[in-house]
Amino acid sequence: MAGGEKNGRPVNFWPGWYAMLTYVAMVAALWCIFVYAPTEKAQGIVQRIFYFHVSSAMTMFVAFFAVFVASIIYLWKHADWWDQTAMSAAELGVLFCTLVLITGPIWGRPIWGVWWTWDPTLTLTLVLWLIYVAYLMLRADATDPRRARFAAILGIVGFIDVPLIRWSIEKWRNLHPDPVIVQSGGTTGLPPAMMLTFLVSLTAFLLLFVFLLRQRMAIARRRHELEVLRYKVDEALFG
Amino acid sequence: MKNFWYLFSAYTIIWTALWAYVVYLSQANRALKQDIEALRAQLDNVIAANDASKEGGV
Repeated sequence: MAGGEKNGRPVNFWPGWYAMLTYVAMVAALWCIFVYAPTEKAQGIVQRIFYFHVSSAMTMFVAFFAVFVASIIYLWKHADWWDQTAMSAAELGVLFCTLVLITGPIWGRPIWGVWWTWDPTLTLTLVLWLIYVAYLMLRADATDPRRARFAAILGIVGFIDVPLIRWSIEKWRNLHPDPVIVQSGGTTGLPPAMMLTFLVSLTAFLLLFVFLLRQRMAIARRRHELEVLRYKVDEALFG
Repeated sequence: MKNFWYLFSAYTIIWTALWAYVVYLSQANRALKQDIEALRAQLDNVIAANDASKEGGV
């Protein structure tokens, strides 16, 4: 039972089987990456960064899409649950975006010969990271509803950068490689073993994202509960 | 094994970051749970003391 309540108190907020499933998926992903997948001829072993780099990027897009949807619903319904969802997803989006921004240069250095270049895709990804770091700074004071509304607007507007990144990979080419997973015409540039490895990695990352999101939301819910309890104690003490 | 250290660094950073975040979430959850339990106990005590003083006053 996930997120259940017993006598008004939260109990075991995530089932053990889900954590085990995520763990097994991660181990399977690592086995596929380092044992099963063939070594790419042109780039060598460093190409294996691709599996976690692209999985992190796609998980980041899912996280920021969750911020976008939850922020719209929060502005519409004014329910705390949606604000907590948006804030938790934003934190995870920043985490995965950070991983993308770190693993990208580590992969790029031996291939491109530079750690960083102001390529449109890289620059737009950095801008996306800055937008959602600003969002988290705005939400640092979790009790102010005005800040929550401004953050929700930033969460919605900031999402515009996501389709721009996708567009820049396809049309605004510079150093960043062409899309290989799904190319124009619906074909793929990956051999079957690499495609399977990528899909296992992506599944593991998405399972991890949902697991972390529920944990982060439990923290947001407990912080809110703590504020309510503090208010009740003050009221009982001082009237 | 050309470029091995780039591959090693990338995966080490990913796993360290994810592990650190899971530990942070787990510790924050545990600390909040303890604070909530303590406040609940404090609230029960204050309410019981208020009730007792009301009964004593009657």
